[in-house]
Amino acid sequence: MRWKKIFSMASENMKQRRLRTSLTTLGVIIGISAIIALASLGEGFRTTVKTRMEQGFELDVLTVIPGSFFAGLGNRFTKEDVQNISNIEEVAVATPVMQRSTVTLYNEDKNTTGLIVTAINFTDFWKVFGDRLIFSEGGLPESIENDTMVLGYKVNNPSENITFAHSNDNVTMQFKVLRGLQQVSKNCTFKVAGLLEKSGAPGATNFDYCVFIPLDYAKEIYEVPSDKQDYVDLIFVKLVKPEFSEAVATEIEELLRPSFGYQLTVLVPIAFVRQVDYILNMLQIFLTSIASIALLVAGIGIMNIMTVSVMERTREIGILKAIGAKNRTILTMFLAETVLIGVAGSLIGVLTGYGLAHILNYILSGFFTPRQSHVFQAPETSRIPMTPLFSLPWTVGAIVFGTVVCVLFGLYPARKAAKLDPVEALRYE
Amino acid sequence: MAIFGPSGSGKSTLLHVLGGLDRPDEGEVFVDKIGFSTLNANELAEVRLRKIGFVFQFFNLLPRLTALRNVELPLALADVPEKESAEKAREVLRLVGLEDRMNHRPSELSGGEQQRVAIARALINDPKIVLADEPTGNLDTTTGWEIVQLMKRLNEEKAQTFVVVTHDPSIAETADRMLYLKDGFIEGVKKGRMRL
Repeated sequence: MRWKKIFSMASENMKQRRLRTSLTTLGVIIGISAIIALASLGEGFRTTVKTRMEQGFELDVLTVIPGSFFAGLGNRFTKEDVQNISNIEEVAVATPVMQRSTVTLYNEDKNTTGLIVTAINFTDFWKVFGDRLIFSEGGLPESIENDTMVLGYKVNNPSENITFAHSNDNVTMQFKVLRGLQQVSKNCTFKVAGLLEKSGAPGATNFDYCVFIPLDYAKEIYEVPSDKQDYVDLIFVKLVKPEFSEAVATEIEELLRPSFGYQLTVLVPIAFVRQVDYILNMLQIFLTSIASIALLVAGIGIMNIMTVSVMERTREIGILKAIGAKNRTILTMFLAETVLIGVAGSLIGVLTGYGLAHILNYILSGFFTPRQSHVFQAPETSRIPMTPLFSLPWTVGAIVFGTVVCVLFGLYPARKAAKLDPVEALRYE
Repeated sequence: MAIFGPSGSGKSTLLHVLGGLDRPDEGEVFVDKIGFSTLNANELAEVRLRKIGFVFQFFNLLPRLTALRNVELPLALADVPEKESAEKAREVLRLVGLEDRMNHRPSELSGGEQQRVAIARALINDPKIVLADEPTGNLDTTTGWEIVQLMKRLNEEKAQTFVVVTHDPSIAETADRMLYLKDGFIEGVKKGRMRL
């Protein structure tokens, strides 16, 4: 029997039993809707998180730390280590950083605290983070002037409506140095060369709390002993391409192993982003797997209805067999009905699924918005939208999955129909 | 040919065996030189489709299909293109005198008309043999005779063999040959027929 004829007969059969067909199809619609809603929300969430992370981290920048953030810094890097890293072929720039905390800045009657002094080589540092560190006022020191500084956004704007300084202002930095066993308080005056805009998302590279000063001058004012003049705390390494991250990180580890052993950390943002993306992907698959249970329940519904239908149509099957229908023709006729239910249910399910995803997004948005008090303002942790994302592979996958489930559950009753004995079937009342 | 005998004599079973719907415990059935015992279920279905037509006591039409669609069904099973099959179904329905009732469903037709549709369905694939199981058993006498006359006419016009199972001696005696069955055995064979 031709496919067109088989499907037209199947569709006529279904029209005869409108209510039953609609209810069976509804099961499939609910199952596919749940899958599509969760998959599209998950896809949207995953993409947003990934984009945020990519914005938050320079994917082509590695951070090399002696020891670890948590265990504290161990041995210090030397200028030679920086030079060796610079010599790696895939490395564009390697720039050393010295960091100090417990500092207060004064500008006439205003002061700002809770900041990190980041001593850098301005030219190299801006080659690494130039895209992120944008000036709202002023700019980089025009020449290497020791007594110039650049202020991070939150250093200069400790709270709303407060501006600590403007470019060309003279600012006093109060800090502590170690003389022998004693900590001594010290003041130094700097000219503000530039003010930075917000540097973006939080993470290892959030420079909003940093005060940038020249590296060599920092060593001088912090009275670094002559035998430790070479030492730096961190090295930022900019790569030619982010894809080289893992290879270069391994090379750096091997390069520094003789001096540091295993007490060395190389932060590879791309690996972190990949890991988070992987976790979110698994979460998305887990959620849609749960939603698939609804579809399996719908499948059992189809099996039930088709079994009843076979019983009701036993005589019809006998007639068809008597006039020459083969077993596979009967099988195909019943499977055609499950295919129609599967395809129709899946297509409608995809549409309602996207609708449901938007409704869920609207409802869930309320729960995910962080409450911001006057005390704790966190503009960079604004809510992560869960805008559902249309994904062609998920859509096609859901339609195929829905249809396959229907066919699989329809297979048993269809086989039962195909194997009916024609004489017995003709006698069936 | 008529197969005649009392209830329970095995008339219908013999007809089912002849039509390849049932398999005999012993012996062999040949239709157009094809032995049924060597065929599997699908091959038997193919023989039923191409070489045998069935007419049943209770008509056995598909209730949701029109007369035309019911008659077309064997052609659809034989993969005949839709246009061609519709044309042929109309022609056969005209032959059984139902040209005005083609688009009616079985529930809208009288018993006699339904049996005519069933006969048209049996004839549509030009079978070698038409097997009719009590074709008048569910009809009043007048309509029953009309159906018998129709079968005889088609038998003569189209030179098609009709094997009719009946327990009505008056119908059995109209056949060219009559087999008398009792308790599953052929008790007698009679040749020649009565004039209608």
